[in-house]
Amino acid sequence: MTRTPLRPLARILSARQKGENPDAIERENIRLRHEGMRDRARQRAEGRLLVLALFFFCAFCVVGGRMGLMAASDPSEPRAAASTSRIVAQRADIVDRRGRILATNLQTSSLYAQPPIMIDPQNAAAKLVAIFPDLDEQRLLKDFTGKRKFLWIKKKISPEQQQAVHDIGEPGLLFGPREMRLYPNGKLAAHILGGYGFGREGVYAAEVIGTAGIEKAFDTYLRDPAEEGRPLELSIDLTVQAAVERVLYGGMRLMNAKGAAAVLMDANTGEIVAMASLPDFDPNDRPVPLTTGDQADSPLFNRAVQGVYELGSTFKIFAAAQAMELGLVNPQSMVDANAPMTWGKYKIHEFRGHNYGPLLSVTDVIVKSSNVGTATMAMMIGQKRQREFFTKLGFFDATPVELFEAPGARPLIPKRWSEIVTITTSYGHGMSASPLHLATAYASILNGGTRVTPTLLKRRAPVIGERVVSADVSAAARLMLRQVVTRGTASFGEVPGYAVAGKTGTADKPRPRGGYYNDRVITTFASVFPAHDPKYVLVVSLDEPTETSGPRPRRTAGWTAVPVAAEVIRRTAPLLGLRPEIEPGAVNRLTLTSN
Amino acid sequence: MSYLEYNVKHVPTGFSKIFYMNWALILLLSTVAGIGFLMLYSVAGGSLTPWAEPQMKRFALGLGLMFGVAMVPVYFWRNLAGLAYAVSILLLLVVEIYGVSGMGAQRWIDLRFVRLQPSELTKITLVMLLAAYYDWLDIKKTSRPLWVAIPVLLILLPTLLVLRQPDLGTAILLLAGGGLLMFLAGVHWAYFVAVLSAGAGLVTAVFKSRGTSWQMLKDYQYRRIDTFLDPASDPLGSGYHITQSKIALGSGGWTGRGFMQGTQSRLNFLPEKHTDFIFTTLAEEFGFLGAFSLLVLYALIILFCVVSALKNKDRFGSLVTLGVAATFFLFFAVNMSMVMGLAPVVGVPLPLVSYGGSAMLVLLVGFGLAQSAHVHRPRGRA
Repeated sequence: MTRTPLRPLARILSARQKGENPDAIERENIRLRHEGMRDRARQRAEGRLLVLALFFFCAFCVVGGRMGLMAASDPSEPRAAASTSRIVAQRADIVDRRGRILATNLQTSSLYAQPPIMIDPQNAAAKLVAIFPDLDEQRLLKDFTGKRKFLWIKKKISPEQQQAVHDIGEPGLLFGPREMRLYPNGKLAAHILGGYGFGREGVYAAEVIGTAGIEKAFDTYLRDPAEEGRPLELSIDLTVQAAVERVLYGGMRLMNAKGAAAVLMDANTGEIVAMASLPDFDPNDRPVPLTTGDQADSPLFNRAVQGVYELGSTFKIFAAAQAMELGLVNPQSMVDANAPMTWGKYKIHEFRGHNYGPLLSVTDVIVKSSNVGTATMAMMIGQKRQREFFTKLGFFDATPVELFEAPGARPLIPKRWSEIVTITTSYGHGMSASPLHLATAYASILNGGTRVTPTLLKRRAPVIGERVVSADVSAAARLMLRQVVTRGTASFGEVPGYAVAGKTGTADKPRPRGGYYNDRVITTFASVFPAHDPKYVLVVSLDEPTETSGPRPRRTAGWTAVPVAAEVIRRTAPLLGLRPEIEPGAVNRLTLTSN
Repeated sequence: MSYLEYNVKHVPTGFSKIFYMNWALILLLSTVAGIGFLMLYSVAGGSLTPWAEPQMKRFALGLGLMFGVAMVPVYFWRNLAGLAYAVSILLLLVVEIYGVSGMGAQRWIDLRFVRLQPSELTKITLVMLLAAYYDWLDIKKTSRPLWVAIPVLLILLPTLLVLRQPDLGTAILLLAGGGLLMFLAGVHWAYFVAVLSAGAGLVTAVFKSRGTSWQMLKDYQYRRIDTFLDPASDPLGSGYHITQSKIALGSGGWTGRGFMQGTQSRLNFLPEKHTDFIFTTLAEEFGFLGAFSLLVLYALIILFCVVSALKNKDRFGSLVTLGVAATFFLFFAVNMSMVMGLAPVVGVPLPLVSYGGSAMLVLLVGFGLAQSAHVHRPRGRA
């Protein structure tokens, strides 16, 4: 940019000659330059304004044109749009693995009162009590005539009740829409589903929030509008769940037990097909938690997940499997089983003081449930490797199952893993775990040897877990467990056609102040079926059962948990789509009638 | 241009200033406000309460404020601009902290007669500060990066604070209003092109990335954006207002159903009928004619402001006038597009018509500034 000089020499010289003040020339030039600058700025500003004016004008045209267009259009309700878009419920449904409803929403009404606009509070209170007998007339009347401007009367009422209240004809009694959660199957799968409550409540709507179980664990998911109300698919099979619960209830009554739990799991995927805990409750009308006594006696307590018990001899198969996996023994190896075994100041006894020794094959250790034989194998394995194996099987952590209660149910593990602990845990004492832990570990060992993760959600694709034991060891372990049923402690467990294999466990219940009861036990039967092609794992556990058909009360698992489990398998295996495989009878009984 | 450069002789003094005001503008503002009273009266079912009467009181108060502001020489306001901006930022911070401790989004400070929303106040103080800034700044430096960065920061600070409240409508207004003022002040157009194309690029990238491996947002975030941009896809949820207001506009036809005859708004189909969506009532009762007339009135208000600004040789005065006009334009343009489904619902009131104290007072104070600039404009040669 060329600049005109403020003091052009020629003009100054000529001005000097004329005797004028040359400074005036500079001032004049400065003024001119300023004006030029301002004019340019102004021009640019006007240009800018023009651009904006154009933009404004376009905006006007668009808005005005749109106005005209809309004025010219016929007013019509957007029916098409409304019908294509689904009304998304506030909370998604929960369905079982075949899409059958486990939890859904129901539109009901809430009832509230606005005392200032009431005409006849006396009459209203009297008639309300006639409709809802649990209301207190005196209190209602006090509320209606007092200073309150608003009060809830009922959070949810049926259409019938609504009509009855409507017929009172009191303008101060008002209804609001209220969406409630409905569990159409009542008590079925109560502990899995949990329950619901109302969060923030308004007259026109209320927040439905999960308070326990799946409902609480998936609360945010179920309420996320972005999921567009897609139902949550569980791994539960409603029919199987119903059968398990019914059989378990019958078994609990028959065995005079005060509680029972069952877990039926797909051995290969870890999907929980049925899980029951008794006593149970109705999630539609969830009871309040116990205020006194042991929470473990509450019907709300999920024994299958939250109940950590010493699971007794069911643990023995872990020692056998690990010893085989490490190559320390094979099923035919003979191990020392001379009872009682002495370890420092401790003595390891067999059940009722038997002695199966001096030597017993590994298979017979399992079949006869020898504590001493298992202890010998545990000593061969050693503390460190045993701990590692239990960790792999998930016994040191809470189960990862998708229930709100699950993370709180941690197994009880001795603080110091001394040698005596190694011995006692090998036959299931001194360490507590839940039936679900046991089912998971059984599935991991017996399905061919890959670890499973328990889940309540339907799996869309198979998950290949980490290898725990080799396929050969897994098959050998199954064969041992099969013999427990055919010639061992679980002979009541035989279900024709389904080749049940399993291990019993009877553990004395600990007293609250240390030591053990001698007449209260937890009996457990952990099984897998069919033994040659493992599909499902079933764990049945009874709390304080007593079988009284004989002259003396019998409490061992073989007499209590095993028959119940067998009945469960008998009932559910066909529902699970398993075909009974009747083993062909012995050929030598046949007589050839013709040649 | 400094205070001394005003030609004091030609500036009216004392109460004679009243005669030098832009009366046409005052008349237009009053007409629009009058339409607002009528609509509020109609929406309340033919009753002055609960909306029309308080609105009238506020308009009277606002008009008083406007005259008060207009009587004070414009350079006084220019010198106050920095302080005003600082105070409004401080108030924004106060509601931010107060709102957090009060366990909810509180956007206002209660002044007994009116609940002052600092975010509304910011709209005017930002315009003042930017106008003062460009008045002070050597015109040659306008487009230098450093001197462009300063006003950008001045705009972004309140915008981000308001966005945190969260008040998307006001944030958009602040950003767009500030940008318009910078454009008018003569910042090189390349900056605007760069910012706009960067913004457009980002938006395109975000949408292009959908469904690819480098997807920038989560799926549900895209779905929420979808419903935000196209409320019609959810006519019973977020699109409810739009649907109802479209019905209202359509049922108004060319001449409308007549005063107090609107059904859509009177029958409680629209929960926000007296605030952001009051335009639907107007369109339904007075039809296209009424709605378009309001649009023309608004356009005239802008026009008068622009003419006044063009006549004004004082840079601060003209920039403030244009800034107020731009803010006003953004108010009604965003509101009308929103009501007619041209833009997403962001919560911007229809200026001077919607029920609400803060917006009206702040706009009238803004027009007071414009009047002051008009009255105290340099006359003759500076």
